[in-house]
Amino acid sequence: MDPQLTSLIVPAEEAAQIEECLSHLVEDTGGNYALLLDKSGQVIVSQGDGIRQDITALGALIAGTFASSREVAKLLREKDFRMLFQQGVRENIFIALIEEQWILCVIFNKGTHIGLVKVLTKKATDELAAVLERVRQQHKSRDEVLGSSFRTSMEDTIDLLFKD
Amino acid sequence: MALINVAAREIHCKIVYYGPGMCGKTTNLQYIHESVSPDVKGDLLSIATETERTLFFDFLPLDLGKVRGFQTRFHLYTVPGQVLYERTRVAVLNGSDGVVFVADSQKDKLEENIKSLKELAMNVTRQNKKFQEFPIVLQYNKRDMPNALPVAVMDRYLNGMNWTRHEAIATTGVGVFDTLKSISRLVISKL
Ligand SMILES: Nc1nc2c(ncn2[C@@H]2O[C@H](COP(=O)(O)OP(=O)(O)OP(=O)(O)O)[C@@H](O)[C@H]2O)c(=O)[nH]1
Ligand SMILES: [Mg+2]
Repeated sequence: MDPQLTSLIVPAEEAAQIEECLSHLVEDTGGNYALLLDKSGQVIVSQGDGIRQDITALGALIAGTFASSREVAKLLREKDFRMLFQQGVRENIFIALIEEQWILCVIFNKGTHIGLVKVLTKKATDELAAVLERVRQQHKSRDEVLGSSFRTSMEDTIDLLFKD
Repeated sequence: MALINVAAREIHCKIVYYGPGMCGKTTNLQYIHESVSPDVKGDLLSIATETERTLFFDFLPLDLGKVRGFQTRFHLYTVPGQVLYERTRVAVLNGSDGVVFVADSQKDKLEENIKSLKELAMNVTRQNKKFQEFPIVLQYNKRDMPNALPVAVMDRYLNGMNWTRHEAIATTGVGVFDTLKSISRLVISKL
């Protein structure tokens, strides 16, 4: 991806495909929740039962964990840890890297076998990689998406809200 | 890299507070969290040592509501400033859209400021971004300290790039929101 690119635009069609892929993943594994993050920790799409209030903080922490494990990998002269598994008493979380740029995670409980999660996550990562490649390739301009007056409105909002 | 989700009509930007240990990064976020309207702020999440030094990061999500139909969110992070945590800073900096470099104005901290800024330049460059073009705002914090260096001296050593810079006393909030406004505007201008 062009590192100088300053924003990534996820079009509606691709967002729908990602949603579908995640909801299949949740259904087929019997998991509770699936999330797709970008590497900065922002949640692109989440699917699962109920609304989790903590989803934003969860995204930040998972991306932080992944980024820090990547630094650990470098110190061990590994290229990367492609997957992380964290085991809790009630819930487990499985995290996989997609194309160095995205993070897929599945939250599941005791009823689901980790082996199944691994296999289905692998399948989902391949699918998502293809969708995300299309997201990367699309060339809509910011103005097309946000409208040309977005910036001034945004500046007004910043001045209005960022004060003591 | 900012994320624009067309279907959900959402925009996310990541802003990182960087700088040497004890310069006041966490204090900036705490002040923002205390002062900003409750509809705007989320919970402040801090991963710190027992002595309140940042171990991993602080995280504060701000929700600006709908702007031209787009739900807009800024995610603020701080890095741990202690030298020991160099690799952790790399991890937190990952994918950021802009940086507030917080410098400690005290005379005996000048060298640490210079080192930390150099490290930031290196880390931004390692992420394949051009440091010259990367959105940065400077904050000279702890202006209340009796041993604070004159601003002109700090400029000479830290602001060769002519970034926007603000004088601040993060503990009482002086300059904190001015800094936040500057970096937010800068990030938005690069979307
Ligand atoms: N006098 C004075 N003290 C300040 C100011 N800003 C922060 N401090 C104090 O400096 C100390 C360190 O502040 P922190 O915000 O924890 O520093 P930090 O940059 O997050 O430090 P690390 O997490 O170790 O990187 C605290 O005791 C703050 O109260 C300021 O403007 N003036
Ligand atoms: Mg701190």
